[in-house]
Amino acid sequence: MRIALTGNPNSGKTTLFNAITGKIEHVGNWPGVTIAKKEGDIKKSLYRGKEIIRVVDLPGAYSISPFSSEESITRNFVLNEKPDVIINIVDTTNLSRSLFFTTQLLELGIPVVVALNKSDLLESRNIQINLDELSNRLGCPVVETSSTEGKGLAELLRAAADRSGDKQTAPFKSELFDLRDQESIEENDRERFVFVEKLVDEVENRAVASHKQTRQDAIDRIVANKVLGIPIFAAIIYVIFSLSQTYVGPLLADILVGWIDSLYEFAAGLLGSDLSPVLSSLFLDGIIGGVGAVMGFLPLIMVLFFLLALLEDSGYMARVAMVMDRYLKKVGLSGKSIIPMVIGTGCAIPGVMATRTIRDDRQRRTTAMLTPFMPCGAKLPIIALFAGVFFGDAAWVGTSMYFVAIGIIIVGALLVRKITRDSSSPAYFIMELPEYRLPSIKRALVSMFSRAKAFIVKAATIILVCNAAVHIMQTFNWSFQVVEEGMESTSILAGIAGPFALLFIPLGFGVWQLAAAAITGFIAKENVVGTLAVVYGITNFIDTEEFELISGAGDVATVMGLTSVAALAYLMFNLFTPPCFAAIGAMNAEMDSKKWLWAGIGFQFGVGYTVAYFVYQAGTLITTGSFGSGVIPGLVAILVFAAVIASLIRSKKQQSEKTIKEAV
Amino acid sequence: MELAVAGKLFKRKTAVKSFKQCKEGRFNLTDADTNLPYTIKEINTDDQAVKDFLFTLGCYEGEMVTVISALAQNFVIHVKGARYSIDEDLARAIIL
Repeated sequence: MRIALTGNPNSGKTTLFNAITGKIEHVGNWPGVTIAKKEGDIKKSLYRGKEIIRVVDLPGAYSISPFSSEESITRNFVLNEKPDVIINIVDTTNLSRSLFFTTQLLELGIPVVVALNKSDLLESRNIQINLDELSNRLGCPVVETSSTEGKGLAELLRAAADRSGDKQTAPFKSELFDLRDQESIEENDRERFVFVEKLVDEVENRAVASHKQTRQDAIDRIVANKVLGIPIFAAIIYVIFSLSQTYVGPLLADILVGWIDSLYEFAAGLLGSDLSPVLSSLFLDGIIGGVGAVMGFLPLIMVLFFLLALLEDSGYMARVAMVMDRYLKKVGLSGKSIIPMVIGTGCAIPGVMATRTIRDDRQRRTTAMLTPFMPCGAKLPIIALFAGVFFGDAAWVGTSMYFVAIGIIIVGALLVRKITRDSSSPAYFIMELPEYRLPSIKRALVSMFSRAKAFIVKAATIILVCNAAVHIMQTFNWSFQVVEEGMESTSILAGIAGPFALLFIPLGFGVWQLAAAAITGFIAKENVVGTLAVVYGITNFIDTEEFELISGAGDVATVMGLTSVAALAYLMFNLFTPPCFAAIGAMNAEMDSKKWLWAGIGFQFGVGYTVAYFVYQAGTLITTGSFGSGVIPGLVAILVFAAVIASLIRSKKQQSEKTIKEAV
Repeated sequence: MELAVAGKLFKRKTAVKSFKQCKEGRFNLTDADTNLPYTIKEINTDDQAVKDFLFTLGCYEGEMVTVISALAQNFVIHVKGARYSIDEDLARAIIL
């Protein structure tokens, strides 16, 4: 049996889904968190029937006719895939809007059970609802639930299971057959609202009208204030990143790295000296060393995810969109573009997917193209490593990377706008404002551990395989003999990465080791640190019980042979080039246009190269008084990139002038 | 520098806006007092999808709307038990 969960955005569908299936899908307190359907089986403890019940969680929708693309997923599912029962989740505090969709669902003929969710809020809101009367009038069972507190769930599932196979009669039946006639649709929907309004009047008793000012509105006026809005947002972001990168994160990382050290020692002792040195080095330096170097940063990422989950749970995200709307509009984006970017600081993949709620194609594609510039959690280890090794753990390095990212996004959005021109019709901004609530520590912990688990799984699979491969390619030369000491440049890895390194000479890091790390970064950004650990044998520093983040930093810098300026250029190159393949896949899905995808990837390469070039060359000029190597070839490459963009802008300009002339 | 670039781009848009204001010189949501329920007379936009969407939220002619806060270029409005943030362009399209 299959049950579909439907309802208005932010009515708590995914929270209910998680509560009844035991899954840990992403939840948040703003409309549009769920943007794809999710499936899961009901927990045995909630339903004792023989049959296995499969639940499908769908994106929120205000009505059966879709507005943005994630809403059409919901419509297509209930119309085409015919679930056995529909559970319609209704926000109890807002019946007058929610029941509009309910009456549409009741017309489909599929048995419906209404879950009056967020019932825990009824008392504080001073609202009474006559359940029996509501159930009678709708012609379907109505169950009070609270998915955050886990109330009414078993009852809801029993009611749903009982209804399987039932017929559903509609209390309000639309009497139109010509769906193309706009006026008759409107007329019909108007009557539907009248029906709902009357129904709500009869079943609901509200002590305080909902349009009266509340404390929440007062908070909005501060948080979204004309002057204070941006500083508040900047302060919140600063606190999140400095806690995860500079304060709490590294503190915990220090402890974890101690454990990894002991594991290395323990494994070394276990392997003994009987094993061939090639194998033992592969195991110790390639696998434990490489994966360990990446794993050492896990606490930073966990702190980041914990804090992001708190932020998403508070209801603040919708306000950020509101604050940023007027600024982002100036560069041709929407206020909603900020949400993917904030999520993108955790991971670019859900960030890019979150662009689905942006209805305007151009705005959505531009956002999907620019979101990966926000340094994601996997890039955090790179930032932390370089900040620690080359800049004595200076907090400005990490924080400034986010501001550079924002700068790139603004310039990028302006360029895209210049190239594409915006459509003549204004893209309106409208977003429901959810109520603020105290973020739940428990939910944040659950989210943190589930994402930490994903990180560990990734480290134990993709990262491990990559590190092993890098180690093997570094150990052997093309005739599959072990590379001798001092002859490292004859290895397979050097052979493959060498040609790429030539391209990086103008950026200050034209050595094959760094090129190899940057290349493996496209598979997963965590690989950059892992590969560096393997190719430079940096793991040896962990041997001395000192982690790079804490001390021994000078030594690592010497091994890599980079100046601080070149290191900064390398760091920024890795942050601002195209993201990992998985994120590029997400870009492909959301852009839904090969032209945009390739333009986006090309743009990301161009930006990464340009930023690194200017940082290295200008930095070298300032610190040493002369330009770094390869200043001319690099400049030529950048001029070509600039010329391509300029010609795109010009051709579009001519095109639009032409159409204007023709129109005249 | 960015500001200068933004300024250039912005000029075109302001010109468009003032033209629209002349055309739509009717009492709209941007002129409304806060905390006072108003009846919507018309949703004046060519964007049918947005019009339909507003409809599903219960924001259409004959329904009540209250401005909760006017914040810079955004308006927090109350329609049918929920609060929405809308931008100035959309507020101007809601004729009261």
